[in-house]
Amino acid sequence: MNYHLRYLPLPDVTEGMVLGAPLSIAEKGVISFSLPEGHSLTETNLQQMKIRHAEFVCVREEDTRSDDERANAWAQTEARLQRIFRAADLRQPVMANLYEAVRAYRRT
Amino acid sequence: MVLQLTDQGIIERSKSMPAFPKVVTEIIATLDDDGATLGALVHHVERDPVITARVLSIANSAAMAGHSGSDVHDVRKAVSLIGLQKIREITLAVSLAEFAHGCRLASYFWEHSVAVGICALELARFTHQPSGYALVAGLLHDIGQLWMAHFHPLEFQMVRSAVSCGTEGINDIERRYFGVDHCHIGRLLATHWGLPPAVVDAIYFHHDPDQGLGESLVAITHVAEVLSNALDLTGRDGNMVANMSAAACEKLGIDWSQDLGPLFGRIEARTEYACRVFR
Repeated sequence: MNYHLRYLPLPDVTEGMVLGAPLSIAEKGVISFSLPEGHSLTETNLQQMKIRHAEFVCVREEDTRSDDERANAWAQTEARLQRIFRAADLRQPVMANLYEAVRAYRRT
Repeated sequence: MVLQLTDQGIIERSKSMPAFPKVVTEIIATLDDDGATLGALVHHVERDPVITARVLSIANSAAMAGHSGSDVHDVRKAVSLIGLQKIREITLAVSLAEFAHGCRLASYFWEHSVAVGICALELARFTHQPSGYALVAGLLHDIGQLWMAHFHPLEFQMVRSAVSCGTEGINDIERRYFGVDHCHIGRLLATHWGLPPAVVDAIYFHHDPDQGLGESLVAITHVAEVLSNALDLTGRDGNMVANMSAAACEKLGIDWSQDLGPLFGRIEARTEYACRVFR
């Protein structure tokens, strides 16, 4: 089974979505609410997060695409990234590192 | 034909733009004074009914959706429920959005400004730098372009076309048409509006930060704009990354080889939400 991670604004998060990373909300420096990675969100959880003013959540979604569809999507993502970096000198370490950081993020 | 602009002329003409929102300078002036700002913030916000209405609307939709209680009807209650810092951020963004709207600016300009503002705020927190001015600096970093678009829309459009077609830096292209670049105009305006020196420097040096790295806000704003383009936050065809200052990254202590997924994800989710709210 393939999965990918998405960071969603809270209004886009629905019951049943699975956390892709541990969630912890701090209020005045004290953690007031936490849920583990892999937890399936309930309506109550969503209400609790709203009350604590959470803004976004990292969710893990099943990737139901075929290998070909995934390869095509990745090719498009990489082409877009190359277009954005078309004027960058990737021989410079700082530019190469930034490029790789964004590329790695897009891979998740 | 290069326009013949003088610093005095730029300032004089800016007076025919919509007034720069007073609440922004008032909030900035009290950013370091948490104990004194609650009453002052409520007072400043409530003087402007348009801003009050928008702040309350966003406060309701952003934080109270699904909450079992009545709607937020006044700024003081919004502060008590959502927190001073968030209300301050919403007020700054709303005020500047109204200003940009009053200048009849295209929505992409504002969305880019919001994206850079959120990037700057998140980068400041991530790198443990003071974050008080980060949102403001990000929101205002391209304010010089707003002046250009308002008074010389044709030349401004020609600059944008040249930027999206080639690889030449925007400041060089602007100097060919305007004689000056948007960083120069931005510095003049920010100084004229009485913004803090750190914000003025961030606006002036955001494309060429190495001269201004004594101020960490310069590094934050520079890296924030690069990152907002690298992450394609506005999805515009013209998004491009050409240079990033290694010295600015070093100043902030950013290690690009660590797992930055949570930071990038936070920035994307917050920007998407904010652009939706302000669209």
